[in-house]
Amino acid sequence: MKRWILVLALLMGVASAQDDSLKVGFIYVGPVGDNGYSFAFDQARQALEEAVPEVETMYVESVSEAEVEAFIDQLVFEGSDIIIANSFGHGDGVLAAAQRYPDIIFGHATGVERAPNVMTFMADFYQVYYLNGLVAGALSDSGKIGYVASFPIPEVKRHINAFALGAKEVNPDAVVEVRWLYSWFDPAASNEATEALISQGVDAFGFTEDSTTVVQVAGARGYPSFSHYASMVEYSPETVASGHLVNWSVILIDFVEGVLDGTYTSENLEDVDYFWLLEQDAVRMGAAPDMPINPVYEEELKGYLVDHPEFGEISAWDLVFERLEQMSTSREEFDPFEGPLYDRQGNLVFEEGEIPTIPELLSTQWAAENVVGPWEGE
Amino acid sequence: MFGLRFERRADPSPLLVFAVSVGAIVAALLVTSVIFALYGVDPLHAYRTIIERTLLDRRGFSEVIRKSIPLILAGVGLVLALRARFWNIGAEGQILAGAVAASGVALFAPLPEPLYVPVMFLVGAAAGALWGLLPALLKVRLGVNEIITTLMMNYIALYIVRWLINGPWRGQSVTGFSYSDRFPSFAQIPTLPGTRLHWPTLAIGLLLAVILAFVLYRTRLGFEIRMMGESQDAARYAGVNFMRTTLFLVAVSAGAAGIAGVGEVGGIHHRLIEPNSISLGYGYTAIIVALLARGNPLVAVVTALFMGLIFASGDIIQVALRLPSQMPDVINGLILLFIVCSEPLLRYRLVRRKQPALQASGEVSA
Repeated sequence: MKRWILVLALLMGVASAQDDSLKVGFIYVGPVGDNGYSFAFDQARQALEEAVPEVETMYVESVSEAEVEAFIDQLVFEGSDIIIANSFGHGDGVLAAAQRYPDIIFGHATGVERAPNVMTFMADFYQVYYLNGLVAGALSDSGKIGYVASFPIPEVKRHINAFALGAKEVNPDAVVEVRWLYSWFDPAASNEATEALISQGVDAFGFTEDSTTVVQVAGARGYPSFSHYASMVEYSPETVASGHLVNWSVILIDFVEGVLDGTYTSENLEDVDYFWLLEQDAVRMGAAPDMPINPVYEEELKGYLVDHPEFGEISAWDLVFERLEQMSTSREEFDPFEGPLYDRQGNLVFEEGEIPTIPELLSTQWAAENVVGPWEGE
Repeated sequence: MFGLRFERRADPSPLLVFAVSVGAIVAALLVTSVIFALYGVDPLHAYRTIIERTLLDRRGFSEVIRKSIPLILAGVGLVLALRARFWNIGAEGQILAGAVAASGVALFAPLPEPLYVPVMFLVGAAAGALWGLLPALLKVRLGVNEIITTLMMNYIALYIVRWLINGPWRGQSVTGFSYSDRFPSFAQIPTLPGTRLHWPTLAIGLLLAVILAFVLYRTRLGFEIRMMGESQDAARYAGVNFMRTTLFLVAVSAGAAGIAGVGEVGGIHHRLIEPNSISLGYGYTAIIVALLARGNPLVAVVTALFMGLIFASGDIIQVALRLPSQMPDVINGLILLFIVCSEPLLRYRLVRRKQPALQASGEVSA
């Protein structure tokens, strides 16, 4: 029997020839055709391959949290040196596999737990949601802006707050009405929430949900909304006003180059946690990559004038680009949450001149003054 | 036509059963080869890659066994039920029932630490058995078709799991994702070092196969079960207690599936998760396992390993060969199709129509 297996093995030969390229395997939670989260991730994979010639990539799509370990096994078999998983839910599997493969380097997008060979990374949208809020505040006639939200967790709360503060900056009376879906992907519930908000007089929409439902439902009434993660302009070309687009590639390129030059190894990733923003170009403002603001709304935004404490009289259009430039320079230049800032219960959240630290951002529980609706953990 | 006709065979020899089963599998793999070729993948290369990474690789081999564990448990149980012509299509739901019960214990029961795993197995087996006994009672008391009821019970179990992980049992620490908190370490079934093989579940499965083989072939109860399968009238005439025997074998069959569910959540996922991720269709594949085993619990262990190999090859097909993840389902379906189609070959033989010019040699049947 043993000899038999030996002969079989010899016959098959060793298929995998050794080469010196760095192999990076990607695991996506959704299909690359989802036009959203995993699609944007795959764009970054391709950009990485283009930017770093030594890198060879491969990917598996639609991998649920339960199956991630088996797919990591296969990617290791394929010779992966680095494995990147893109969903929070992949965490258990990544950490368990990292223990079994101590020489392989792992990256976990949106993850929170690290290990010597597991780093975490995040491209956060809060600054861009603030910019979207400026646009929404200027475009809303009723001053009622809707937000269809997934889960009351710090990330989503942070984004709603930034969105609301943006709207308030151009319209002091603007309020943001929040509806919670308790799901990341639920087109039916999104539809219902959007319709309910419309019937309450809401006429501009932000959202955190992984489908294009809000864009389409609001768009059918002609109400503006925003691209989420990837361009959604094609789903309602006349109403997607702007949006927040992710550019994971800068993080991936930075990290992989660090691995190539020896900065990052399978032993020193315990404290490597990317939290990249506009400044690093990890996130961008835009309805689509080449469309920061939809030209359909250009005239209206240029005609919407604000008496601004910092810039004097300024149009909403110019204000958006001023703020974009400030935040793209550094967080010190401008931060949407810069104090003095009070929550809706009147508590002082950040003192005069204070800029929240990253840990403070990551643990956001407060609600901005003009946020309306239930808010767990307030 | 062609002067051929079917003639009933008395008792197919074990060799014939083996040959026909292998033939069905080979035929299914040949059709799969065509599909591989249509995708532009050399079928020989495909099968070679699969064998290289499953049977010839230590970690790959442990994955094959790991995926066989639920198939062994559910499959061996199904062999017993099918033996008495109780069509239990509900192993999938019974697996989930076991998983829910075990998760309940792991997450909420106040027990001394060493007791968690054994209690999870016991409670899981009981929950699986209960899930199977409901359709069994409906059948023996009211004559309700068990194929329908066991199948429908699968969906009830599935939605109960979904409700639990989206509602009362959703974890505190999972930032809104739909699964329970992680089981504490003492409520996790131990695994062989370096693998994901939760060996206690495997041991229970193997032990169960041996015990059931003994019961089936060496005890009065086993004789009754076999008689029920061969001829219900004869069994009734011989005084077999239908109610008692059916309830017993369904409880064992469904209980085994429940144990499989305990193994999946307690040994692998360590959480109650999305039902389709707890069981990757193991309950349905177990039907193929049992059919291939032709009524023998020990053979079911072998056929479970074979189907485990096909499951494990799914990941390889996707990653190494870049083919869609649905391919293993296609292979599964083809094997089932060919097995069902090969059934007549066991019960009938093809003989030449009687013609005066020929000797009537082909017609002599025992």
